[in-house]
Amino acid sequence: MTTEDVNSVSGTSGVLRGRRKDRRVSNLVALTSIAVAGIVLALLPIWIGDSRSHMSVAISGLLFVCYAIAFNLIFGSTGQLFLAVGALAGVGAYASAIISDRLGVPFPLAMMLATGLSMLIGGGFSWIAVRRSLDIIFTGIVTLVFSLAFDNILLGQRDLTGGETGLVVEAGSDTFLRQQIPPYYVFLGLVLIYLVGYVLLHSSHIGWAFRALRDDRMAAELTGIDVSRYRIYAGVIGGGMLGLAGALWAHVEGFISPATFTFIHVDVPVLLMVVFGGLGMLMGPVIGSAFFTYMGEVLAAFSHLRLIGEGTMLIVLFLLLPKGILGALRSGASGLRRRRQTSKR
Amino acid sequence: MTAAILDGIVLGLQFGILGVGLTIMYGLGGVLNLAYGSMAVVAAVVVSFSMRSGLPAGLAVLLGILTAAGIGLALNLTILKPVYRRQGEARVLLSLILTIGVAFIIDGFLVWRFPIEVLSLSIGGNPVLILGVPMRTGSLLASAITLLTGGALIFFFRATVTGRAVRSVIQDEVGAQLCGVNPATTRTLIFTLSGALVGLVVVMQSMTSPVPISAGFEITILALIVTVVGGLGSIRGAMLAGLILGVVHAMSSFYIGSYITTIILLAAAAFTILLRPSGLFGKHA
Repeated sequence: MTTEDVNSVSGTSGVLRGRRKDRRVSNLVALTSIAVAGIVLALLPIWIGDSRSHMSVAISGLLFVCYAIAFNLIFGSTGQLFLAVGALAGVGAYASAIISDRLGVPFPLAMMLATGLSMLIGGGFSWIAVRRSLDIIFTGIVTLVFSLAFDNILLGQRDLTGGETGLVVEAGSDTFLRQQIPPYYVFLGLVLIYLVGYVLLHSSHIGWAFRALRDDRMAAELTGIDVSRYRIYAGVIGGGMLGLAGALWAHVEGFISPATFTFIHVDVPVLLMVVFGGLGMLMGPVIGSAFFTYMGEVLAAFSHLRLIGEGTMLIVLFLLLPKGILGALRSGASGLRRRRQTSKR
Repeated sequence: MTAAILDGIVLGLQFGILGVGLTIMYGLGGVLNLAYGSMAVVAAVVVSFSMRSGLPAGLAVLLGILTAAGIGLALNLTILKPVYRRQGEARVLLSLILTIGVAFIIDGFLVWRFPIEVLSLSIGGNPVLILGVPMRTGSLLASAITLLTGGALIFFFRATVTGRAVRSVIQDEVGAQLCGVNPATTRTLIFTLSGALVGLVVVMQSMTSPVPISAGFEITILALIVTVVGGLGSIRGAMLAGLILGVVHAMSSFYIGSYITTIILLAAAAFTILLRPSGLFGKHA
C-alpha cells in the first residue's frame, strides 16, 4: 500500500489531522533550532568578548541577520523582490538619529517613530506593487530606484544628514548601548524576537496564505486568498524589521554614513546570505550571515578581493545551489529517506 | 538656455544609444544585463592603455569597442546559457542576479588593479559656433558619431534582413523560429552589438568628460533608467527616452544642480513604471 492509498482510505479528515500534527512538530523543531542558535550565539562573547574589534564584527553580523530575516520574509515568503533593504534600514537609522538629536525626543521613542516610518515605506512599496500589479522585476527596479534616490538625498541634504562624511549620533551615548558587550545581547534579543515572530507568523493563517501565494499566486487568488493584503502585510512587517534594526544600529554605533546603507554594501550581501542559507527557510538568514561574517574575518587580508569574491559566490550559488545549504541538506535527507523506504518495501 | 538644450541633445543621443544597447538584450534574450556599465569601463581601460602604449587614437578606440563586444559575446556563450533554459520571469530574475555577479567581478578586478585609471580623450581644435553657442570639437565629433550610429542602427533594424530577423525574434520567438530565424544566432549577434554600443558610448563620453574606473554601476543605472522610460524592449522608445532625459539632465544640472538631477532621472523611471509600465512605446498595456 502506498502512502496515497492510505490517505484515500483514511479520508480527508485523517489527512488534515496528520497535517496539524506535522505543523505542531515542525513548530517544535523551529523553536528548538531557534533556542540552539540563541544559546550558541549567547555564548560567543566568552571567547571573543575581550576584543573590541571582534565584538563589533559580531554585532554587525547580528545586524545582517536582522536584515536577512526581513528580506527572507519579504522575498522568500511572498516573492516581492525588495532591493531597498539597505535604504529601509537607512531610513530607520537616519530618522531615529535626526528625530532624537535634532528634536530632542528621547531615543527609544525616536526609534519607534523611525520604525513606523520604515513600515509605512515598506508597506507603500507593496501597496504600489499590488495596485499597479508590478511583476517581480518591476518591483525590483522600483525599489532599486528608491535606494539610489535615498542615497542621493543623503549625500545632497548635507545640513540634515552630514552628507558623505556621515552623521555622529549623540542620543544613546551615555547608555549601555555604547559599551562593549551589552549591545551584542540587545541585537541578539532582536534577532531572537524576529525569528520567533517569523515562526509565529508562518504558523498562523498569514503563513498559510504566504505559502499558498508563494507556491502559486493564481491558485491562491482563486481559492479566495486576498493576495494583495498579505503582500502588504509582509511589506509592512519587513519594512518595520529593517527600520528598527537600522535605528538600533545608529544608536549603538554612534555614527552613520550613506555608505553603510547602499545597495552594493547591504542588498547584495543580504541576497547572498539568504540564498546561501536557504531562501524561505527559518534559519537560512542566520546560517548565511554567520558564514559570510566569519569568512569576511578570515579573509580580511584579502578584503581588496571582496567584490570579486561576492560576485563569484552570487553566480556559483544561483547556478549550483539555488536552494541554499539548508535546502540541499533537506532534499538530500528526504531523498535518503525515500530510498530507505523503497528498499524496505 | 540654447546651450543647455544643445548640450542636452548631445547627451541625449548618447543616452539613447546606451538605452538601445540594454533594451535589445532585454527584448531579445529576456535578459536584464546589469554588467552593462562594467563592460563599458573595461572598454575605456583598454582604450586608455592602448593609447598610452602608442597606438593611434582611432585604432585604440576600435580595440576598446571590440573588447566590449567580445565581453558581450562571451557572456552570451557562457554564463547566460543556463539562463536561456528558463522562461519568463524566472529568466529575467536569474539573468539579473548573474549579471550583478559579473559586474561585481569586473568592477572588483578593475578597482583592485587600476584604482586611479581615468579615460579622457581630448580632441583638439577651436570651439565652433552653432546657433550662437560655442561647442567644443569633442562634443561635436561625439554627436556626429552618435548620429551616424543612430542612423546606422535604424537602417539595420528597418532595412536589413538580419535587423528584421532580430525584430521578429523580439516580437515572437516561436513565430520567428517557424520562419527560419535562429534565435540563438540572433542572440549572439545582438549581445555582441550591445557590447559594441556601450563601448562606443563610453568612448564618446570620454570626449566631453573623463570616465573614472568606478563609473560602471552608474552607467548601468543610467541605461536602466533610459530603458525603463522608453519601455523595456522598445528600440524606438529607448532612443526617444534618451533624447528627452538628456535634455532634462542638461537643463536641470544647468539650473538646479547635479544631485537633484540624479533624483529627477530616478523619479522619471519610477513614475514611468507606476503610471505607464510599458514605457513610451511598450508593447503591453
